[in-house]
Amino acid sequence: MKNLKEDYFNAFFSHIYVEKSIFNHARTQKILAKFPSATVIEIHHYKDVFCRSKQNNALQHCSQKLILAAKQGTLLYKGAPVCQSFGNQYFYYTSCIMNCIFDCAYCYLKGMYPSANIVVFVNLEDFFAEVEQILQRHSLYLCVSYDTDLLALESITGYTQEWHNFAAKHKNLTLEIRTKCANKLFIENITPISRIIYAFTLSPQAIIDAYEHHTPSLLERLSCAAKLIQLGCPVRLCFDPMIYIPNWQQHYEEMLELVYTTVDIQKIMDVSVGTFRISQDYLKNMRRQAPKSAVIWFPFQKDDGYYHYPDDLMEQMEYFLIQNLQEKISKEKIFRWKL
Amino acid sequence: MVYIFTALYCEAQIFIEQFRLIKNQQTNWFQEFYNETYNIHLTITGVGEIAASAAISSVCSTYRPTQKDLLLNVGICAHTTKNNGIFLCNKIIERETGRTFYPDILYYHSFSEATLVTGMLPYNANQDNTHQMKSESADFLYDMEAAAIYQIGIHYFGPHQMIFLKIVSDKGLVSQVSKEQTTLLMKNYQNCIVDYIMHISFITQEINEYENYFADKEETLIETFCADLHCSKTMKDSMKQLIQYMSLTGIDYISIIQSMYNKNLLPCKDKREGKLRFEEFKRRLF
Repeated sequence: MKNLKEDYFNAFFSHIYVEKSIFNHARTQKILAKFPSATVIEIHHYKDVFCRSKQNNALQHCSQKLILAAKQGTLLYKGAPVCQSFGNQYFYYTSCIMNCIFDCAYCYLKGMYPSANIVVFVNLEDFFAEVEQILQRHSLYLCVSYDTDLLALESITGYTQEWHNFAAKHKNLTLEIRTKCANKLFIENITPISRIIYAFTLSPQAIIDAYEHHTPSLLERLSCAAKLIQLGCPVRLCFDPMIYIPNWQQHYEEMLELVYTTVDIQKIMDVSVGTFRISQDYLKNMRRQAPKSAVIWFPFQKDDGYYHYPDDLMEQMEYFLIQNLQEKISKEKIFRWKL
Repeated sequence: MVYIFTALYCEAQIFIEQFRLIKNQQTNWFQEFYNETYNIHLTITGVGEIAASAAISSVCSTYRPTQKDLLLNVGICAHTTKNNGIFLCNKIIERETGRTFYPDILYYHSFSEATLVTGMLPYNANQDNTHQMKSESADFLYDMEAAAIYQIGIHYFGPHQMIFLKIVSDKGLVSQVSKEQTTLLMKNYQNCIVDYIMHISFITQEINEYENYFADKEETLIETFCADLHCSKTMKDSMKQLIQYMSLTGIDYISIIQSMYNKNLLPCKDKREGKLRFEEFKRRLF
């Protein structure tokens, strides 16, 4: 779909759908002010737009719309079994934004959500209140950038900064901000906090070129990671999901060489390693939407409702990366995902 | 195929003339016109939500539109504050139920956009029949079919495949709008509507050419290959998926299959041999 002429489609965020109840919310107005030429459409509930049937994810990615809403009900979720907990007992995640401006062909969001449009929940205080309630009982390890790339949307929402400020006030809260972004502007103005982990998802450049559409290059991501390390921020490198392509060894080896020459690997907080895996329902949706995406048409192996690479290949890929990493960093810092 | 639905003949006339549509003599229920060269099928539904629902159901059940097709509802409407103009609808409210529908506005266009309210009765500015919509913006279009067309259409089309174009004829005095005036109004906007239809048809065609997966020739080869391997239904599905992956990653699977035939490994004599050959074929992947 990326081959289609861009001028066929309306501009990115040409239309902004706003829930009537939050129209006058300060964050709504702040975001709307950034898009003065957008068509603003009043809606009753975000699901009226986001959950319509028969939406075409691939086409919507060519002209993503923004939905501003208030999230109700559960705001924090316990970490899913397919996610790495990094040894944290109280592992939760939250979705103050749903969907991503990047267009990674293998992203589970394409299978999980019925739409490619981006939902921003403006009632961030409600999220903070729920986190505070949990913090009264015990410490919390919270991933705030799972179902989106928070840092990539920073210029529109400012949410990374808001979470940053919130975490600064709560000593028993650890945040993970996962990203493929290289937001240098944000990094330049950051005050390092030891409990905010910046986790960069890394892939070989060949995989970025083939499947991670509109994302920054490997070098740009690594440069950002290096800068954060320099500033004293905890940085995590996520080689997860590892994606199979022909000559994958060579591509992953080249990637690691670039990692070692760009970042001070000794100062990395930890790394995660895991090959691509996905729930069968999500993969089914993704395949229906993208009949030409090689990465999701791989003949995967299915176990317990999850698809993954065949055992041999999975073992080979993860072992290859771990062996290479162990030459540079201690075993304790390497987290391997296990089903 | 672009499925055009209008309520009245005078709204359809510009399309019948422009695309030289031929009347379908085989249908008795609704007036249908078509031209296969332009890939256009037009139906005159009659006025109101029930008439529109019946027509859409009938046409869609008969012709079974796919994701390659588009639904276009064009016609005149009232406007609460304006006397003229053409609008693309980004929000449709059903007056009687309050239900709201949002067609996707993905493709670039040069029209103004507006909210459309669909009601069972004609909009009358002199009577207070708009009180139910007061909570909405004071500026909106008013017609008698669109909400029904969306609700029936969504069974057959995605929200990105349905387009609602409305031309303002009055501010709530529809009884004063004659057939001749409607024809004239439609003619005024004929060029921009036709340009838009051609534009979106072209885009849809290009998207579908991009997404159209196996060519017929390849499909036949895969069918023969699976038959010669004595594939079960599950094996056949698995084989299709495998071949799709091979094709997407540039592996020349046709040569691999042909070399198996050249080596007399195919056709297999039974299912057992078929399974062995299937595994051999799979091993070519990594």
